[in-house]
Amino acid sequence: MTLLPHILNGLTLGLLFALIALGFMLIVSVMEVINLAHGSLFALGAYFALWVIAPELAGFAEVAEAYAGLPIALRYGLALVIAPLGVAAVGMGLEVCLRRTYGKAPLYGLLLTFGAALVLEELIRTVWGPTEQHLPLPDAINGATLFVGIIYSKYKLYAAGFALVAVFCVWLFLEKTPYGAIVKAGAHDSEMVRALGIDLGRFRMLVFGLGAALAGLAGIVMVPIWGLRPHVGIDVVIPAFLIIVLGGVGSFWGAVVASILVGLAVGLTGAYATEWSLISMYLLLILVLTFRARGLFGRKSILEN
Amino acid sequence: MSQKPITRRSLLTSSGMLLAGATFMGPWAHTRVYAAMSDKPLKIGLTSDASGQYANSGASDRRGMLMAIDEFNQNGGVLGRKIETIHIDTETTPATGSRVAERLITREECAFLIGAVSSGVANAISQVAQKHGTIYLNTNSSSPSESGADCHRVKFVWDGNGTNFANAAVRNAIDSFGKNWMLVTNDYVWGHDTSAATRKLVDSYGGAIVDEVLVPQGTRDFSSILVKVQQAAPDVVAAAVGGDDQKAMRQQVAQLGMGEKPAWINNQQDWPDVYGLPLDNLFGVFGTTWYWKLDLPGVAEFVKRYQAQYPDTAMRVPGNVFYNGYVATRELLRGVEEAGTTNNIAVIKLLEGRKMSAEDRMQHNDAWIDPVTHQVQQTIYLATANEGAAEPDDMFKILSHTAPDTVADTAAQDACKLESYEDTPTYEV
Repeated sequence: MTLLPHILNGLTLGLLFALIALGFMLIVSVMEVINLAHGSLFALGAYFALWVIAPELAGFAEVAEAYAGLPIALRYGLALVIAPLGVAAVGMGLEVCLRRTYGKAPLYGLLLTFGAALVLEELIRTVWGPTEQHLPLPDAINGATLFVGIIYSKYKLYAAGFALVAVFCVWLFLEKTPYGAIVKAGAHDSEMVRALGIDLGRFRMLVFGLGAALAGLAGIVMVPIWGLRPHVGIDVVIPAFLIIVLGGVGSFWGAVVASILVGLAVGLTGAYATEWSLISMYLLLILVLTFRARGLFGRKSILEN
Repeated sequence: MSQKPITRRSLLTSSGMLLAGATFMGPWAHTRVYAAMSDKPLKIGLTSDASGQYANSGASDRRGMLMAIDEFNQNGGVLGRKIETIHIDTETTPATGSRVAERLITREECAFLIGAVSSGVANAISQVAQKHGTIYLNTNSSSPSESGADCHRVKFVWDGNGTNFANAAVRNAIDSFGKNWMLVTNDYVWGHDTSAATRKLVDSYGGAIVDEVLVPQGTRDFSSILVKVQQAAPDVVAAAVGGDDQKAMRQQVAQLGMGEKPAWINNQQDWPDVYGLPLDNLFGVFGTTWYWKLDLPGVAEFVKRYQAQYPDTAMRVPGNVFYNGYVATRELLRGVEEAGTTNNIAVIKLLEGRKMSAEDRMQHNDAWIDPVTHQVQQTIYLATANEGAAEPDDMFKILSHTAPDTVADTAAQDACKLESYEDTPTYEV
């Protein structure tokens, strides 16, 4: 068996895991909230994108027809911008609800986001129905391509490339912009940030919105691979949480490296012992935490305070 | 001769006893106490998944049961008793299935339990049902073990199983596509049982299994599995992958354009799993027990009844899961009515060997309940994607229909050891 396709497969899978974990990581780092609604925001992003790409405008048949005549690439591009913004708005609304839990035991935030996850999933079921949906894609990223004798999905390669760009952009934002500096400072010492005259309430709301937008973006990119159904988000929260713990809570590069490691573990186990592929990520977690209790790149976690 | 005097106390005691006895056993047919018992609604526990891998199919299954119950209620219920239902989510999890069954029987006092899509859940429920003697209809799970090693006196299995579908498909596929087969199998009871049945048939028809890949439940990325399929280059891939796993797999196979070559045999295709998807997601040949466009008497009328009952449902036409839920519930209620009692042993005896006409079941052949395994022996259909259909909901093109005796699961008959009537507790609510 040639190993190369499986390594490539593991790497692409790792990048996709990184995309899934980015928003989750941002919210845990800054807000000290384990956002269990991350999966529902992920699903919501994909459903908003469905709305933008193929809207059902009852009573506006002519408008809908004219809109459907626009190139799919344009509609898809619009969805990549509009849908995450929509999810960001929902995320900011959720942050407002979360405010009453600040300063209390982490369990309150956990329960609130869990409740929000249930509400959002049911909302999706009510609005879009319980059945499987299909997100239309531009032809350029659809279909298959041949690489070293193996057929690859063009979409999978596109999604991995997209994830790489997204990771780079988030890194640029965090490291090279004044806003990123505030986010990092806020994660480290929010009281000091407030003392420096920064509106902490607004800042937290924007960070939560950004985290939610990243979850929505991940949803748009992932559902053409996983399929689109109201409960698709439940497949997201556990890997995202696992990656954050594995990489070290609050560490950007820890999350990225952990994602790649998880991708490689799942991909390579899939090649030799497929029945162990899902459990391999948990075994990896046990292995790392046995020797580094705070994860690969973890310092003293904000959750330990 | 001494004579005992009648005291006031003994007179009152005897009168009281006489009155109490007359209340229950008097010549009048309809005392208040008797009426309270006989008019008591008949409660049926619906044990279908509302979350997890089979949430969508569970909802469809439930709609089928509820339509049958509604039809009976419109005609006065069963045995003059109105039918009530209680549904608890079995979460596509066997442990939850056990807990739900125990609660529905002991606390809710349900007369019967109906519903399952996952074989693991069905098996868990049926163990609890057998312990209490409660009749349980496994409407939609299709592991061969459900009517084989895991059969029970109280359980009746309504769906075609993995062996039935493999029997219908394997020989034709070997002749048409080739002898080298690869198995892609969901790593739980249904997948394993179906894979074992397929393996046996492939061997017996001179084919060879070149590899088998076990797919853990909850798998969303099939890349490594599809790379393995490409590397093994089989003539045929026989997939026993269900629920959300199957949806993800189909999507990824379609993206790779691998739906045509190798040839894919998908053991069974549940309607809720594919409804509304693009046709390129519906590659290969697959089995089903019923289709809404079968050219048979009663089918069109049945579809209209479904649409009238569920005008707002996203699934505009009924599928095999709904159908199984409906016919199973209808047959049980007919059986209770004919038996004149809800007593489990009487109803079980009535259902064992029961014949059901093709016309009544809207299939091509008569069906019956095998008294040895309690599985419904029915027509098995093979289908593929219906390219160029006039209606978007007409997704299947039916390729063949095979009579029940041709596809019978003979191994189940050997494996199934039903508990005796004496070992099955009497149950009547």
